[in-house]
Amino acid sequence: MDLIHPHDAGTVAEALRDASAAGTTVLPVGGRRHLDKGNPAEVDAELWTTRLDGIEAYDPAEMLAVVRAGTRAGELRAELEAHGQEWPVDLPEDATVGGAIAAGVATPRQLRVGLLRDTVVEMQVATGDGRLVTSGARTVKNVTGFDVHRLLTGSLGTLGVITRVALKLRPLPQRSSSLIAHDGGLDLGTRLLEEVPLPAAILAEPDRIVVRLEGWGPEVEDQITAARAVVALDDADDPFPEPLFPDAPIVAEVAVPPSRLAAALEGRDAWRAMLGVGLAWVPADDPDDLAALRAKVGDVGGIAPVIRGSGGLGEANVPAPDVQRRIKAALDPAGILAPGRAWSS
Amino acid sequence: MADLDAARRELEAALGADDVLTDPLALRLYARDASMVEGSAGIVAFPTSVEQVVAAMRIAAHHGLDVVPRGSGTGLAGGSTPIGEALVLVTSKMRRIVEVRTGDRLAWIEPGVFNLDVSTHVRPTGFTYAPDPSSQQVSSIGGNVNTNAGGPHCLAYGVTSAHVLALDVVLPDGRLVRLGSEGPAAPGYDLRGFVIGSEGTLGIVVGVGIRLTPIAPAVRTMLLDFPTVEDCARTVSRIIANGVVPAAMEMMDQGIVRAAEDFAHAGYPTDAAAILLVEVDGLEAGVEAQTREVEAAATAHGVRTVRIAADETERTLLWKGRKSAFGAVARIAPHYHLHDCVVPRTKLAPMLTGVYAIARKHDLIVTNVFHAGDGNLHPLFSFDRTVPGTLERVLAASDELVRLCVDAGGALSGEHGIGLEKRDFMPLVFSQDDLDAQACLRAAFDPEGRMNPRKVLPDGARCGDFAAAAMARGGALPEGTWI
Repeated sequence: MDLIHPHDAGTVAEALRDASAAGTTVLPVGGRRHLDKGNPAEVDAELWTTRLDGIEAYDPAEMLAVVRAGTRAGELRAELEAHGQEWPVDLPEDATVGGAIAAGVATPRQLRVGLLRDTVVEMQVATGDGRLVTSGARTVKNVTGFDVHRLLTGSLGTLGVITRVALKLRPLPQRSSSLIAHDGGLDLGTRLLEEVPLPAAILAEPDRIVVRLEGWGPEVEDQITAARAVVALDDADDPFPEPLFPDAPIVAEVAVPPSRLAAALEGRDAWRAMLGVGLAWVPADDPDDLAALRAKVGDVGGIAPVIRGSGGLGEANVPAPDVQRRIKAALDPAGILAPGRAWSS
Repeated sequence: MADLDAARRELEAALGADDVLTDPLALRLYARDASMVEGSAGIVAFPTSVEQVVAAMRIAAHHGLDVVPRGSGTGLAGGSTPIGEALVLVTSKMRRIVEVRTGDRLAWIEPGVFNLDVSTHVRPTGFTYAPDPSSQQVSSIGGNVNTNAGGPHCLAYGVTSAHVLALDVVLPDGRLVRLGSEGPAAPGYDLRGFVIGSEGTLGIVVGVGIRLTPIAPAVRTMLLDFPTVEDCARTVSRIIANGVVPAAMEMMDQGIVRAAEDFAHAGYPTDAAAILLVEVDGLEAGVEAQTREVEAAATAHGVRTVRIAADETERTLLWKGRKSAFGAVARIAPHYHLHDCVVPRTKLAPMLTGVYAIARKHDLIVTNVFHAGDGNLHPLFSFDRTVPGTLERVLAASDELVRLCVDAGGALSGEHGIGLEKRDFMPLVFSQDDLDAQACLRAAFDPEGRMNPRKVLPDGARCGDFAAAAMARGGALPEGTWI
C-alpha cells in the first residue's frame, strides 16, 4: 500500500487527480481515531492529512477559527483555551479536526453546545477528481449558495478530502462541573433531565449517571442544587467524557428517537445513553450480539453503526439512494475514495 | 413547450378546481414575492395535503413543467419569483401542526404554518422553536427552511438548520422521501442539511420535523443607547470578546429608531445615534452575571443609559419596536429595498461607515436595523419608485453595498438567500470550480433542472464541464423577469 502525505491542499488535489486517472483507490486518514466507522476496504493508498496542520486564522472577537484539517484536536484546544474559547467537540488529543468532521462524531455535551455539523461554517475540500472546492463563508451565519460542506460532514472520506475548515467557537464555560450518581437507569436519567434546568449532558448507564453542568458560576450552583434534589450525587474527578468501554471488542452508536431508548436497550446490561438526545453507546461481544442489538434498534426505527471494532455501518433504508449515488458521482466520479464505507440495504 | 392546458386539467382533477388558478389576476399576483423582481407564472396551485403535492409534482414531471415552491411569499431575494410558464406550488393551505412530542423534543409541522404560530403552540409545553425571523407573524416554516432563516434569537441558538431534525420532501419526480431522522443520526449523506437553505431548487418541503428547545427559566432584556454608531458597534464585539453570547443582540440606528418609536411607542431614545437591544437568558443567577458583563462592556464604550426591562410587559414593548421596524419604515417613504449581508462582526463599524457613504453618494435615505451579534446587516433604502431615476440610484447603491460586504470578508446573504437578486454576484465569492460543484450537486437532486430553475447559481455554472470557458459575469437577469 502506498502512502500519500502531502503538505498542502494543492498537492492533495493533485494526488487525487492522479489517482482518479489511474483508478487507484485512496483512503483519507487523519488521526486514525474513527477509522473503524464504516469498515473501509483495502485500498491502494492511504492519504494522510496530518501534515496539513496548523491554525490559519483565529480572531477571538469573531469566535471563528480557520483550521487546516490535519490539525490535532489537542493543539487546537490549547490555542483556543488560551483565549477562553473552545470548539465544543470532545475529542482525544491526537484526533484530527478533519477526521472528526468527516466521521461526524457525536458531541456528548450537545444539549448545551449543539452539534458538530452546525459548527462548520466554511470548508475547502479536494474532490475525488482533484478539484479544490470551497463552500460556506467565514461568518457565523450565511445562506449563500449550496452548502457542500453539509454533505462532506459525516461522509467518512467518500466524497473528498477535507483540507481546511472555518469553525464556529464558543466561550469556555465560566464554570463546569461533573457529578456522578451511584444509581442508574433511563428512568432516573429522565427525571434528572426534567428537573435540572439546561444541563450540558446527562449520561446514563445501568448502574450510574454522570451529570455535566456548565455555565456562569452561580448558575451552575443552582443546577447542582436542582440535581441533588433528585438523587445523591458526588463530585466526579474523572475526565469528561470517560473512555468508552475500553475492553469491548465492538462498540455501536445507537441512534433512535429519545423516547425509544428504553426499547432499543432492553435486555442489555451495558450501555451509556445521552438523555434527551436518543443516542447510546453499546458494547457488543461478537457479530451475533451486534446483530441482535441491530434487530432491536431497527424495530424502533433507529440505526446502530459500529464506531469501534468490526461490523460496519449496518443495514438501513438510505433515503433517495439514486440522489446519494449521484452526489457521490458528482464529487468522486472515478469512485476512488474510501471504498467499502457504505450502508448496506 | 409544456401543454399547460392539459396540465391544468390534470391538476384540477387532483386538487379540485378551486385550488388551481390560471386567471390573469392570480398569475400576476403570484409572479413575484416580496422582492423587487417580477416574473411570470403558468399555473398557480394550492395543494392541501402531501398526497396532493405528490400528485402535482408527478403532473409537472409528466408535462415537463418547471416548479416553483412558495410559502407566504415574504422572500426578499426573488427566490419564489417564477419565470416563464412555471407551476407555482403554494404551500399556504398546508397549515397543520401535525404532532408535538416533547419526549422526543420534536414536532412535525406542515410547511404553510406561520413561524410564530409554531412557537406559540409549543410554548405551554416548556419548549420553543428558536428561529424567529422578523417576518415571523406571516412567514411560513417551509419558507424558513428554504432560506435557512435566522432572526434575532439565532445568535445563541443558531439558525434554522440547527433546529430541523428531519424533512419530508417531494423530489422533482414526485417521490416522497424523509431526509434526516427523528433520532440524532440518519444513514447516508446529510441531504437534510443540504436541502435547508436551498431555496426550493431541490424539491418541495411538505413536512418539517423541528427540534424543540427548552425555554430558559430566566431572561433579561436591555436597551443600551450610544452617542455614536461606532461606540455601539464596538460594544457588540466587546460583549462577545468578554465571553458573553447573548440570546439576541440587535442594533438600530437613529433613522430606524425614530420611525419605530413613532409607530410602536416603545420609549426608545430618539436622540441616540444608535441603540442596542441585548437579551441574555439562562438561569436567574447566570442572567444576573451576564447582565453585569454587558453593562461593563457598554460602559467601556461610552453608553449613555442602560435600561433593563422591569417585567414581561416592558420586555415585550422593547421587542415590539424592533420587530415592527420594517413596517414602520413605510412612514419614511412608500417603497423600500431591504438588504441582507453578513460580515465578520469586528467589521461592523467600518461597514456602517461605508453604508452611510454609499447612501450619501446616491442621495438615498438609509436606515439600519440588524442582527449585530451575527454581523448580519440589513441596510434599508427608503424611496419613491415613481420618481424618475430613483430606482436606478437604488440599484447602483445596492451593487456597491454587495461589493463593500464582500471586500470586508463577508458573504452575499446572511438569511434572505440569493434567489434571482444576487445570483449574478455569486462569482464574487465563489470560484468557477466552486459554482460548478454546486451545480452538479443540485443536479443530483434535479437532473432535469425543473425545480426553481435559474435561481441561486449564475447561468454559467454547469455540472460536468469544469474546464468551461469563463462565463459572462454581467448583472443581467434571466429573460422574462424584470425589476
